[in-house]
Amino acid sequence: MKEVVVEVIGVDPPCKRCQATYKSVEEAALTLKAKDIDMKIFKLTAQSKDTIAKYGVLVPPALAINNVVKVMGRVPEKKEVERLILTTVK
Amino acid sequence: MLIFIFFTVGYLIYSRIMAYSLAPTMKPADFHGLAIWEIPVAYLVDYFSHGWICLLFAFVAAGLIYEFIPKEAITKYMGGNKVTAYGLAIVMAPFLTVCSCTMVPLFAGVLYTGAGIGPAMTFLLMAPAANILSILLTGEIISWELAGVRIIASVVVALAAGIIVSKTPWGKATQKEHRVNSLASSSKIEIVKPPLDERLWSALKFGGYIAKRILPFFLLGLVAVSYVEAYLPEDIVGTYLTGVTGVLIASVIGGPLYTPTLVEIVLGKGMWDLGMSKGALLSWLMGQPYDVANALAVSRIVRWKVVLTYMAIAWAGSVIFGLTYGALSRSL
Repeated sequence: MKEVVVEVIGVDPPCKRCQATYKSVEEAALTLKAKDIDMKIFKLTAQSKDTIAKYGVLVPPALAINNVVKVMGRVPEKKEVERLILTTVK
Repeated sequence: MLIFIFFTVGYLIYSRIMAYSLAPTMKPADFHGLAIWEIPVAYLVDYFSHGWICLLFAFVAAGLIYEFIPKEAITKYMGGNKVTAYGLAIVMAPFLTVCSCTMVPLFAGVLYTGAGIGPAMTFLLMAPAANILSILLTGEIISWELAGVRIIASVVVALAAGIIVSKTPWGKATQKEHRVNSLASSSKIEIVKPPLDERLWSALKFGGYIAKRILPFFLLGLVAVSYVEAYLPEDIVGTYLTGVTGVLIASVIGGPLYTPTLVEIVLGKGMWDLGMSKGALLSWLMGQPYDVANALAVSRIVRWKVVLTYMAIAWAGSVIFGLTYGALSRSL
């Protein structure tokens, strides 16, 4: 079982596009579980100080995998999330 | 998909060459003799018979621009040097904030990182004042001259507000309060670009998403406009919405009435047809940045005094530019 930390960075109150991103990630997690990859999913708020201290200015929705921002300002499709995680794990 | 994009752009150029008017063509006089329920129907049919291509183009263009703009490059530099940050705030705000939910986080981001409150303020004012959709539609529906003036005016007002707020004591205090010390190193951001066909598809999907959010309000707005055109007597508009009073009134009602739905453009066009002066029209359109919803969202991050200062500056700016433009274009 390989572990991957995935952070979905959105806004609070949640916007539609951030929710869509979160859904893509959740769906990808289900598929990847079968491939022996365990995704730990966290939600971050883009305008909070902690997030900005960690990643700087971001355009939400953004997606960070193992503490590296891979997607910014767009909603990734499920297969895109899977592809990103598989390349990270490899 | 590419065919669809080419079709949209091509058809727009074609319609331009054939000198179609993309704006609503009905004049107030056309409404006489129509029953109450017929007015919006007639107006909508008239509008969509030639306005659809303009709307389609605006949404497709917004989707494409938003998808292909290098966001990571912008955000990397926005937090740094002051001059670069002001420049980026002006140039990039219109493209980054087609979706309203990105406004406040970006504002906070610019404020918390190195650039401080000045560029953050500029960004905040610039974003709704000159976002790509509203400029496209101002140009198509009203006139490109006015769209140009609107951009210039927004730039000046946004810069002025940014610089002034950063000099006030309460502006400085806010900045100190919010400074985040540990800056992110750029190594933490490695954007992976998906293949082109996926990007085009997601651009179109985003365009569709904006359309879905805005169109219902836009339709309602059109209905309202049809009644305004039908029932608002021309002499009222002629009396109150021209001259110096016209600019003042337009700038005041333009703010609270603003909803991020582009209605203000159609409504402005309607009142312009009825005799509103060009100067008042500009003030009306520039009224958006100090709308109430926006101010509330921002006041959760910065102090009220800062919000009030920037609202005052935005209002003064819209009045000054309305008067100047009115005087210059001989339509006050």
